[in-house]
Amino acid sequence: MEKKRVDEHEAVPAALPKVDRFGFVKQEANSPDGFTRSKSASEYESCSFSGDDPLGLFVAYFLKKFRVSDAREERRIRKWRKMIGVGGNDWKHYVRRKPHVVKRRIRKGIPDCLRGLVWQLISGSRDLLLMNPGVYEQLVIYETSASELDIIRDISRTFPSHVFFQQRHGPGQRSLYNVLKAYSVYDRDVGYVQGMGFVAGLLLLYMSEEDAFWLLVALLKGAVHAPMEGLYLVGLPLVQQYLFQLDNLVKEQLPRLGEHFAQEMINPSMYASQWFITVFSYSFPFHLALRIWDVFLFEGVKIVFKVGLALLKYCQDDLVKLPFEKLIHALRNFPEDAMNPDMLLPMAYSIKVSKPLEELKEEYEKQNGKLSERVKEELQPS
Amino acid sequence: MASSGNKSINAKLVLLGDVGAGKSSLVLRFVKGQFVEFQESTIGAAFFSQTVAVNDATVKFEIWDTAGQERYHSLAPMYYRGAAAAIIVYDITNQASFDRAKKWVQELQSQGNPNMVMALAGNKSDLLDSKKVASEEARTYAQENGLFFIETSAKTATNVNDLFYEIATRLPRLQPAQNPSGMVLVDRPADRASSASCCS
Repeated sequence: MEKKRVDEHEAVPAALPKVDRFGFVKQEANSPDGFTRSKSASEYESCSFSGDDPLGLFVAYFLKKFRVSDAREERRIRKWRKMIGVGGNDWKHYVRRKPHVVKRRIRKGIPDCLRGLVWQLISGSRDLLLMNPGVYEQLVIYETSASELDIIRDISRTFPSHVFFQQRHGPGQRSLYNVLKAYSVYDRDVGYVQGMGFVAGLLLLYMSEEDAFWLLVALLKGAVHAPMEGLYLVGLPLVQQYLFQLDNLVKEQLPRLGEHFAQEMINPSMYASQWFITVFSYSFPFHLALRIWDVFLFEGVKIVFKVGLALLKYCQDDLVKLPFEKLIHALRNFPEDAMNPDMLLPMAYSIKVSKPLEELKEEYEKQNGKLSERVKEELQPS
Repeated sequence: MASSGNKSINAKLVLLGDVGAGKSSLVLRFVKGQFVEFQESTIGAAFFSQTVAVNDATVKFEIWDTAGQERYHSLAPMYYRGAAAAIIVYDITNQASFDRAKKWVQELQSQGNPNMVMALAGNKSDLLDSKKVASEEARTYAQENGLFFIETSAKTATNVNDLFYEIATRLPRLQPAQNPSGMVLVDRPADRASSASCCS
């Protein structure tokens, strides 16, 4: 059924790949920059290894990683395990009792070995899964989707540099296809939209297909926070709203940069649409994306604005000097020091956006009508 | 119409076309001389630039590579508005992508800059065995609509430079590059737009 051409060098690459701690194949020094995703920071360079079976090594690496984790890390994991309880039993109780402790710990980063489970707990997806037994299987096996061919066309173009997704028709690509197809059936108004693959792909590195599917549902349908399906609906209404809000936040909070952007005719859609559409899972260092996702799932979309503003703020002095072309490039390729989560995230937390976001949303709705109404209008058959 | 002497022109160029037609691959080939079999999907849009020399002038292309999926349509006008040139890309092995290309042509004819240089590129010409869109059909369509037509292969590099070179020679060359930042992309009042556009 796949129409794409088959390349003789596919499946497992002939040259043994070096992968980073997250399973992304490392780029050669002379490989295209800006076209393929940027790699994790050098702090993980020492974690590289190579072998005949990249996926096996990837798994072996994770096993090894937890054996050698230092004492501090082990203490941290123990605290987290206590907080979660067996199979997540104590979690809700703990969150109710000590929400600030939970928030503080999440902001420091969820331990990687517990990330998948915690993401499901904080996003509300675990509850959805338990309430809907058998639904995912039904969607995958028995339903057909109008988006199937679109999904297939994009599968090998989603995280093409990750060992899990690299192998044609391998387990990674199959899972990715199933999750996206299931969602396109579950919500036929959204269907499949380019960008969802990166979100689903990121989730699949930390949980099973079915869990990833329900987390996608929790996010887009709004289990805990406001629904985000507007990111992918016809007309991309929520993307437009977020870009409007970001544009104004930049003008208010970083006036020097806002003025420079206006002069150089930089529109936020030129650099930030992918921040929102994929919640930083596209062409961003993976270790940073994960830390952002920890907070995003617990605190909601405002962290995307905060991180965006923090990046701009950190680089402001350089950005204001650049003419259009260099500026666009810089906004797509932030320097490595700016991408350090332990620097960037504390800076992001210190930026207050809740109130202005609310006000800007109202202003946007005054100009454009309410999102819910716009969505209804867009979905009317014309 | 072109005056003599060395000139430097900035030309905004936009690539439009169906998902997987090879827009990003054409740009990657043209700008960096590279090809990746599984090019990561473009989310939103990406910007590149490349300079070519034609006769007495150098043309610096400021290239916006857009996302192909229909759903992203609402973002496209920002990128083609004020563009001096557009490349509409289809995949010669995929009839639907050719139909989609025609829709883009229609949209540019009604919404785009009237002086825009438009090229129709039938990409993946290396896949001759699975060709679905006949060259004649595409050529006739292009002629009827005033487009420049060429079949390309980003994979083998066939005709890729020719495509951009041909566009460069067809650009109206009346205005020198006056504003280095000079691209109109913002959906704002026309006063700003007309003063900064290179060719309208």
